[in-house]
Amino acid sequence: MTADASAPEPAAPGGPGGRPKKPRRKPLTLVVVVGLVLWTWFTGRQVGFDLTTFIDLWTNPLWQKFWPIPWEWVLDRGNVIDPLIETFQIAVVATVVGCGLALPVSFAMSRLTSPNGGTYWVTRVVMNIVRAVPDLFWAKILVTAIGIGAFAGTWALSIFSLAVMVKLFSETIDGADPRPLEAARAAGGRHVPSVRAGVLPTVLPSYVAYSLYIFELNIRASIVLGLVGAGGIGRVVEAQRQYFRFGRILGILLIIFVVVFVIEQISVALRRRLV
Amino acid sequence: MTATVPPDERHEGSPAGRPERPVGPLVARAVVFVIIAGAFAWGASGLDASWARLRSAPGDGWAIFALMWPPDFATELERGVIGKVLESVYIAWIGTILGAAISLPLAFLASNNVSPSFIRLPIRQLFNAIRAVPELIVAVILIAITGLGPWAGALAIGLHSVGTLGKLSSEEIESSDRGPVEAVEACGGRWISRVRWGILPQVMPVIISYWLFRFEVNVRASAVLGMIGAGGVGAELISQLNFRNFPEVGAVLIITIAVVIFIDTISSAVRKRIIAGGAGDDQSRMAVLFGDLVGHRGG
Repeated sequence: MTADASAPEPAAPGGPGGRPKKPRRKPLTLVVVVGLVLWTWFTGRQVGFDLTTFIDLWTNPLWQKFWPIPWEWVLDRGNVIDPLIETFQIAVVATVVGCGLALPVSFAMSRLTSPNGGTYWVTRVVMNIVRAVPDLFWAKILVTAIGIGAFAGTWALSIFSLAVMVKLFSETIDGADPRPLEAARAAGGRHVPSVRAGVLPTVLPSYVAYSLYIFELNIRASIVLGLVGAGGIGRVVEAQRQYFRFGRILGILLIIFVVVFVIEQISVALRRRLV
Repeated sequence: MTATVPPDERHEGSPAGRPERPVGPLVARAVVFVIIAGAFAWGASGLDASWARLRSAPGDGWAIFALMWPPDFATELERGVIGKVLESVYIAWIGTILGAAISLPLAFLASNNVSPSFIRLPIRQLFNAIRAVPELIVAVILIAITGLGPWAGALAIGLHSVGTLGKLSSEEIESSDRGPVEAVEACGGRWISRVRWGILPQVMPVIISYWLFRFEVNVRASAVLGMIGAGGVGAELISQLNFRNFPEVGAVLIITIAVVIFIDTISSAVRKRIIAGGAGDDQSRMAVLFGDLVGHRGG
């Protein structure tokens, strides 16, 4: 340091050469943070938040019941494999029905391609209500209405995946390039042909990608459908749980895990190519 | 064929004519159609779906909804349905908080621009493993150990959320801009400073919007968890359905729908505000979010 610079430099907060002032926190931020903390504390008490559970979890003697896995039971065709196949059949049919129906409905539910305001709002309201009902609620209601089994489960998943697909895909259509549609209309095209030629080709890749995503969702959902009597592998899990045969449940879980993992990897790889 | 020239062949090869229709896409289309139709037929064959059942199913489904009208709110309010719906919301919130708190550090450890591969790969596989098991199945096992109640549900939801949030967050971290990290490195920042000042500020808005989105998903999941005894509105729905009290079922459904839509609306407004910073339109925000959700960014 030279003697010239020995004079203490002015701190100059906010000045041109100094360190910029730290922006003040807005009072609203503070209110929101305090509110969230209080809300979390309150909900934690309501739920019975208890960290000792984590210790109990590890020391619980029930874990011993998970071992050994009775592989000869798990790998027997009738016990696990057939219900698992039923699970996939549910997921496949629900995906095809749900995504197939979703194509026209999504076009009706997008501002860009809806034929008129009435159709737009009616589909929007109906789809939002359908989507607000959780998938297993649908399954349980339809099991009550149509009878226990995979048939009711397929209906439930079809309805739910239709609603989710319509939501995802109609938003893609909203974001589509409107110019080809305008061109088709300017050339005198009627509504459906214009949409078919002007919008559909640009959004079709997303449609396929979303369909694969819905298929993954449906695989997961169809696994648990059996817990409410709607068919598939969940039925076996529920039955074994009632007899506390956790070794068998763990065996089923491992098989589910492997199969879901493989399907998801394939689906993700396909989707990555598409979009 | 008759003697008249088919219109498509009339101008074949002529410069002004219509170009020949390529065959490749047609074949591909046929193959895709056959695959989907085949899969559908295979699936439908196992579902015990006779024509008679197919014909009567929509009517039966409609009949049950007709029976729910008019909904019996008075009985349900007396049975404390509001408290049960709120319990579902509490479970979802605590589950989301657990998931967010555990997934955030793990997500950094699972990102290729932050952590070495011998840490990254096991954690990533952990995320995949967690996501492969549905939360209901996790809850089935947890209930056996912790006993019936909302805390088991919150744990199951929290565990599942760790998987999904960890995956989405680490993808966001991996796609973050390297510039700020290099700036911190150039100033001599250590690993922790690079993460705190170089990456965290960039990725936090999107990660928080994932948390909110997960909260919306978890509200539905926790409603369902009640069906197997993990607390919340699902238990009420099951018992009323089993006793065939359809007007009460209608009331439970309507209240559930109202709460779910209310939470979705608030949450998506907050997400929009976080992502777009007050400006920006709904569509681009949704495109970003769902683009990530379905893996536009890879992974």
